[in-house]
Amino acid sequence: MPVWQVVLLLNLILAVGLGFGYGVWGHRLAALDGELKTVQAQVERLERELQACAAGARVGEQQWEGRGIVRAVYPRLFLITHEEIVGLLSARTTGFRVAASANDGRARVGDPIRFWLQGTGTDNIVLVRMEPW
Amino acid sequence: MTALLLAALGVHIAACVLVTGAFFVLLLAGPPPPICTMRRWERRVLSGARWLVLVALGSGVIWLGVRTALFEGRADAAIEARAIRNAMLDTWPGLVWTVRHALLIVLAAFLITGGDVSTRRNWIAARGEAFVLAALALVLLGGSGHAAAISESPWPLAIDMVHLLGAGIWVGGLPPLALLLYATSRYAATPDPFAVRAMQRFSRVALVTVLVLASSGIANALLLVESVAGLVGTAHGHLLLAKLAVLVPALLLAAANRALLPALSGPNEAKPSAAARRMALFIALEAGLVLAVLGLAAAMTVTTPAIHGDPIWPWPIRLSLDALPDVPVIQNLLQPRSELVLAGFGLALVAVAFLARRRRVLLIGSSFVLVAGGVAIGLPPLMVEAYPTSYARPPLTYHSGSIAEGMAIYQAHCAYCHGAPTVGGEAPRGSAVDLRARLTARRSAGELFWLITHGLPERGMPEFGSRLGDAQRWHVINFLRAFGAASDARRIGMEVEPDRAWLAAPDFTISVGPLTPRTLRDYRGERMVLLVLYDLPQSRTRMAELARHYGTLSVLRVEVVAVPPRASPSAIAKLGASPPVLFPVVTDGNEDIVATYRLFTPGEAHAELLIDRQGYIRAIWRSDQTGMPDATAVQAQVERLNEEKAPPPLPDDHVH
Repeated sequence: MPVWQVVLLLNLILAVGLGFGYGVWGHRLAALDGELKTVQAQVERLERELQACAAGARVGEQQWEGRGIVRAVYPRLFLITHEEIVGLLSARTTGFRVAASANDGRARVGDPIRFWLQGTGTDNIVLVRMEPW
Repeated sequence: MTALLLAALGVHIAACVLVTGAFFVLLLAGPPPPICTMRRWERRVLSGARWLVLVALGSGVIWLGVRTALFEGRADAAIEARAIRNAMLDTWPGLVWTVRHALLIVLAAFLITGGDVSTRRNWIAARGEAFVLAALALVLLGGSGHAAAISESPWPLAIDMVHLLGAGIWVGGLPPLALLLYATSRYAATPDPFAVRAMQRFSRVALVTVLVLASSGIANALLLVESVAGLVGTAHGHLLLAKLAVLVPALLLAAANRALLPALSGPNEAKPSAAARRMALFIALEAGLVLAVLGLAAAMTVTTPAIHGDPIWPWPIRLSLDALPDVPVIQNLLQPRSELVLAGFGLALVAVAFLARRRRVLLIGSSFVLVAGGVAIGLPPLMVEAYPTSYARPPLTYHSGSIAEGMAIYQAHCAYCHGAPTVGGEAPRGSAVDLRARLTARRSAGELFWLITHGLPERGMPEFGSRLGDAQRWHVINFLRAFGAASDARRIGMEVEPDRAWLAAPDFTISVGPLTPRTLRDYRGERMVLLVLYDLPQSRTRMAELARHYGTLSVLRVEVVAVPPRASPSAIAKLGASPPVLFPVVTDGNEDIVATYRLFTPGEAHAELLIDRQGYIRAIWRSDQTGMPDATAVQAQVERLNEEKAPPPLPDDHVH
């Protein structure tokens, strides 16, 4: 085989190898990473649903745990500056509806609390339990 | 171990450079004529290249092993398969190493198997392929160097790669050329036209390559060395200077070779073969010098870049623009790197002198006299006293915790002579320097560190190096900077001056109960901060007003951070439930923040500071002066900041 053909073949192999490595292997890696994240999210969701079931919630509802400081107290609503609530909200100040059973009237502005939320998404979550942090 | 790493790396780089250059010269010269001498030269170069690829592979393996051992902190890791595998596949330099060595293996296989290159097409394909593989293996070396690590931008890496390719072409091309000239001058009275043509082509290419090397080298130096202090005061800078010192004779030899070039083929030359032999000797010497440069370059790759090092200033004086009178126009004119302006001016004069065909010597002489005269007149006023630590970088950030700590140390050790740490307070005793004065602000942080450490015996200032730790002395310097800035802060009024950001706000930690703390720095580029120093009960009305308008301020991307005078877990509760206070109220570390920011707002009253998105204090409101502006007026100032077209650069985290 003439040398120029060998060179051409070699470069083709290098290009295909690089393309295969980057295109297929890299793509596969990205896909696997995506799948892993999806599965992790599903597992976390199922864990939250399991916790919610154990706490007497309806089917499909999840439970989240958060930590924060009470900033305002209204009869059915607490404003809480909280840390990140994994799978629900980033760190910020949020108003949460409070279940009657959760509000024993002892929470005061400035109290650091741990709290549990139940619901199916951000628009219908309810604070169902809290305790001093 | 480090010496072995350096040796392996030096040999590896030199081998890669020589292989690249060898194939470049072969390609540049073209297929050799069917003359025994020229064919033999090509065979020698090819044989040498084969050995060099094997040397590059062997030294590369040793380099990887030693680096793994150093990385793992145990010598046996150098021969442990698992550790080597981790170093190759789990680190970026390891991946780069793997790809480069894969290319070298392909190149070695390609060279060893050889093939019939009797036709021109096959010859060009074979040499071209070898050059591309060698050049790729060489330039990818930049992927694991300082340039790749120092910035996320691709430009430093691209510049480094161009520099490596230039080195491969110029440095690597010299030995085969020396061999060619030696071979052609050995048996014939006149050099072979093939050799002369190769020399002429290389001479033209080398001129361009040296210019590319110089410009990419300067760009690299600006990125990795950054300052004169880095150049003369760090190991990395010293290696660069040594590299330049070795390069000068190499460039002089290159210039001599260019001058000798016409003698190879000129009709009037008596002994062209003697010229060729002399040229071969010069090229061999040039190659020896630039190979020494490669050794220094290898040493630079295993040395901390000057930009990250702590320079030790070697001279008792330094140049400082701060020594000029406070004329803003002069300051502004001279701000963009005076050394570059001077260098550019000098180079322009020299370039004009070289371009002129007549009276060149006179022009060059005049330009040097002008530059020397200008320097002699202009430099003395810029010279100030300097110390080894003049350019030392403070290890501590400009943070309220450090400033408050420094204030306490100052109170205990310095206040007796230098005066109380309050703006507008008592004057210093006797000959003690007023640390609020502009003179102190002009001294670099490193100089203050030296003076505090060693004292000034002739002025009665004792040394504190034996009494205060390093960190304590840096705390004092952070305090002195804040103290000096506080005197200037009186110029900041209640209204924002558009596009005039100059007072950096010291960083502080925002701890709200047990929540994860944030810092002022976290808001940079995102939100402005209205820092409120309050005290109850006198601030209650104002706090209620701010609480009511917090929603509006929040929409305008302003965070309100309230700091009571003392740390208390019940600080939020004390503000009451109505109206609800939703902004951060600091409950821990308050004393440091208050002590620091009270320097800018002396007195015990309620005060508010508006800090822009970049981290500069832009407006100060003090209740003991004209009272607090209403919320609408605060919003108006925020709007002014929002309308600024060009945000100022972010303030440095450390004092200078």
